[in-house]
Amino acid sequence: MAKPQVEPPEEAAVRQSVAKAEQSLYASVLAIRDRHELERLGIAFYDAETTLQWSYNADAMFHAASTMKLAVLLAVFRQHTRGELALEEPVHVRNKFLSIHDRKPYMLDINRDTEGEVFERLGRTMSVEQLAYHMITSSSNFATNLLVDVVGVPVIQTALDELKIEGIKVLRGVEDQAAFEAGLNNEVTANGLLKLLRLVEEGKAYGEEASARMREILLDQRFKSGIPAGLPQAARVAHKSGNISTVHHDAGIVYLEGRKPYVLVILTQFPSETGARTAVADVSRDIYECLAGMNGG
Amino acid sequence: MAEIESESGLKIVDAFDLDPELRALLRPGELVEGIRGQYHHLPRYFYEIPSREAAREIRVTPHFGLNEFLLVDLKEAARVRAFPRYVPCAIRIAAFYLERLREATGAPVHLAVNGGYRSPAHKLSVAATPHMWGTAADVYKIGTVVLRDRASIETYNRVIEDLTDDLYVMPYGHEIGKADDHIHVDLGYVTVVPREISEDRLEGPQDKPRFAFEERRRGDRRGWPREPLPEVLPAAAHAGSTRSESQK
Ligand SMILES: [Zn+2]
Repeated sequence: MAKPQVEPPEEAAVRQSVAKAEQSLYASVLAIRDRHELERLGIAFYDAETTLQWSYNADAMFHAASTMKLAVLLAVFRQHTRGELALEEPVHVRNKFLSIHDRKPYMLDINRDTEGEVFERLGRTMSVEQLAYHMITSSSNFATNLLVDVVGVPVIQTALDELKIEGIKVLRGVEDQAAFEAGLNNEVTANGLLKLLRLVEEGKAYGEEASARMREILLDQRFKSGIPAGLPQAARVAHKSGNISTVHHDAGIVYLEGRKPYVLVILTQFPSETGARTAVADVSRDIYECLAGMNGG
Repeated sequence: MAEIESESGLKIVDAFDLDPELRALLRPGELVEGIRGQYHHLPRYFYEIPSREAAREIRVTPHFGLNEFLLVDLKEAARVRAFPRYVPCAIRIAAFYLERLREATGAPVHLAVNGGYRSPAHKLSVAATPHMWGTAADVYKIGTVVLRDRASIETYNRVIEDLTDDLYVMPYGHEIGKADDHIHVDLGYVTVVPREISEDRLEGPQDKPRFAFEERRRGDRRGWPREPLPEVLPAAAHAGSTRSESQK
């Protein structure tokens, strides 16, 4: 006869502390939602150190904004790993794209301020890798559309399907007005982006080499008003934000000294367009403080 | 100095003599349908460019380097982008007309990436575009003027039309068959049979190698001295231009 299983006291303590953490997170997230008058909020979180997983409204679809660039990055490295695309391949930097909807040409509304180095290369070439870098680190729409053109929208979806990432739908490039009007839009869920970033963190997004290169690019992110704004200065974050008029998102891998990283996705939607928003940073801060509390810090 | 002599010439190849992979990409002599239902034979005779350095060094005209016609991105087939590279012999004629355009505008004429020769395997090679004949050029900049608005494109289109009836320019516009971020100029479906080629064969291999662009060839024939020409010709120096101005 097997003896009845008795939980060791330390495991029971961990379980209790996790339950307490989850409850307090839930309360503070609701408070943030009310304080910022959010129309919608989606959060997904996974901590590799404690294996704690937590989510709020994580399967709700949001306008992807620039978080779709994570899926484009993934597709680029899929093609690279398969030997179908060398990262040093030259791409003509030309502001002319065909709508995915009616194949009619359109141009991006770009200038030196928004596009920086990619704009400077107009008329010349940049490598696939340079474009991937600018697509992520300065959120270049120009670089994104060039890469969507290089890999093709179907390949982006194939990459997501292959890695069993549900909850990310990429149907078109940026500023494709005809496709937008036809209802073809890019959408994400917090769980979808979490899955993608977990694979990148765990070296399972087309192998460790490709994953490592993607993490390097994501770590060079220049926009730090989202997740990093809720963290201590020393934290390093491999992330991609997505900001348009009424949505502010951020999805990233958080590296803190002396512990395994955690992956966090925060999607927010506002009823109307207003100025600077700190909801994403506030959620990020709460989660960090919650984890610090659990670690006895 | 025999080796120098052979280095200065560009080999002419009959594309039927190339390896099967290249032949399949260049499709010599094949009929291609144009947008209005007309058919044209693809070029058969090509210059072989052995290396990047050769492409950079060889000038087709005083202001146009061979490399400017070879500037492509990943839309061109990888094998076509790898040296030795091949460009239809009619490129010389295209360059001759571009040189006239440069004279007329008095400013460097910049070809766009994918704006010179495109093989039939190039992703932008739709229907029978003269780019597949090496007789078309997409110009994205003249002097410091970037051609991406109606005024600049239509102005230079007029300059080209006044220059000669041989050149066709694409009208300004956003639709397919029009251009709004470059000037497309072409000579139509001109193919060149170089004088070095013997046409007494169909598709059998040629037995002797043939060379073109042998800089000393003409001079030798006329008994000119062997010293190279000065870098800057007196007339060009007077006009304030140099031989490498179209290079950046
Ligand atoms: Zn053209």
